Amino acid sequence: MSRLMEPLSVGRVIGEVVDNFIPSVKLNVTYNSNKQVSNGHELMPAVITAKPRVEIGGEDMRAAYTLVMTDPDAPSPSDAYLREHLHWIVTDIPGTTDASFGREIVSYETPKPAIGIHRYVFILFKQRARHSVRPPASRDHFNTRSFAEENGLGLPVAAVYFNAQRETACRKR
Amino acid sequence: MACASTSASATWNMSSLRSAIPPIHARSASSVHLSTGPSSSRLKFSSSKLLHSFVGLAPLHPLLSLSSPDSTSFEHCFTVIDNGGRFFAMRHGKRVPKLNRPPDQRRALLRALTTQLLKHGRIKTTRARASAMRKYVDKMVTLAKDGSLHKRRQALGFIYEKEIVHALFAEVEERYGDRNGGYTRIIRTLPRRGDNAPMAYIELV
Repeated sequence: MSRLMEPLSVGRVIGEVVDNFIPSVKLNVTYNSNKQVSNGHELMPAVITAKPRVEIGGEDMRAAYTLVMTDPDAPSPSDAYLREHLHWIVTDIPGTTDASFGREIVSYETPKPAIGIHRYVFILFKQRARHSVRPPASRDHFNTRSFAEENGLGLPVAAVYFNAQRETACRKR
Repeated sequence: MACASTSASATWNMSSLRSAIPPIHARSASSVHLSTGPSSSRLKFSSSKLLHSFVGLAPLHPLLSLSSPDSTSFEHCFTVIDNGGRFFAMRHGKRVPKLNRPPDQRRALLRALTTQLLKHGRIKTTRARASAMRKYVDKMVTLAKDGSLHKRRQALGFIYEKEIVHALFAEVEERYGDRNGGYTRIIRTLPRRGDNAPMAYIELV
């Protein structure tokens, strides 16, 4: 358990975005059918323009899950005054399927990291009942913890994050 | 001479002490005053003699005391803690990271890296550079925590962009007011594709 949580707590996903939790459901996020998201690895902005394929585990298809994608380093990691910019919410995902079977209440927004290196976090919550999650008012100043509290989602069941920066950032070398 | 003065002052001290004790009878007060007059002056003289003897034990002048042992201390006016003028062919025990560069380029690289880290908040670089940078980033944050003009000018002499220095001095109070040291975090990541160099993210905590 702790081996899986180490990159999440070292990268301060646990701490800034969510609280410490025990992962119980498998979460598999893949961009462009070959680029899998692993904790702390970096993806190019060209790859993440389209929404990824998110496969979740779980025991049965009756349980509903909610997937939230946020950027805790908006607009810049050194001065994140828009802390947590919301990119995507999909609810009512049946267990053991993928996100295309869910209902997208906040549409996927292509990440555009303008300044610095941003973390993009996928968090999976287990819903108590279907149709219980409401979209938030705006994408900026999003708070994952308060969102989970408002919609009765409790602690997350899975999380993964990747890094991304502007395409032209390292062209000097 | 010192002992003689102490013994003399010892005898004088006892008598002056006895006379200095507040008198019970009123009529002996005048005699006390008379006796304390000359004895107090003599006490002062002996105590000053005592003080002079005390001072004489301390080194009179640091410059004069230093000029005797070493011929190299002509240029320095203060003690220099060195390895005693020994030099070795090996690098044993020297903990300065050289980063494969001569000293001037090394300093320029570290200045550039700390400027960029303070500007962007998180940068990706090689592990050796990231761990070499920590000291200088912590130094800059410590200067900003002090906040005086002198420290600001010292920071301006190190960081390449002055807007970053001013922004750092403005916001360090709220960000790092409670934290004592350790203002950076290093996260190791995958090696670079071109040369398999071990990479790391370094970010401001």
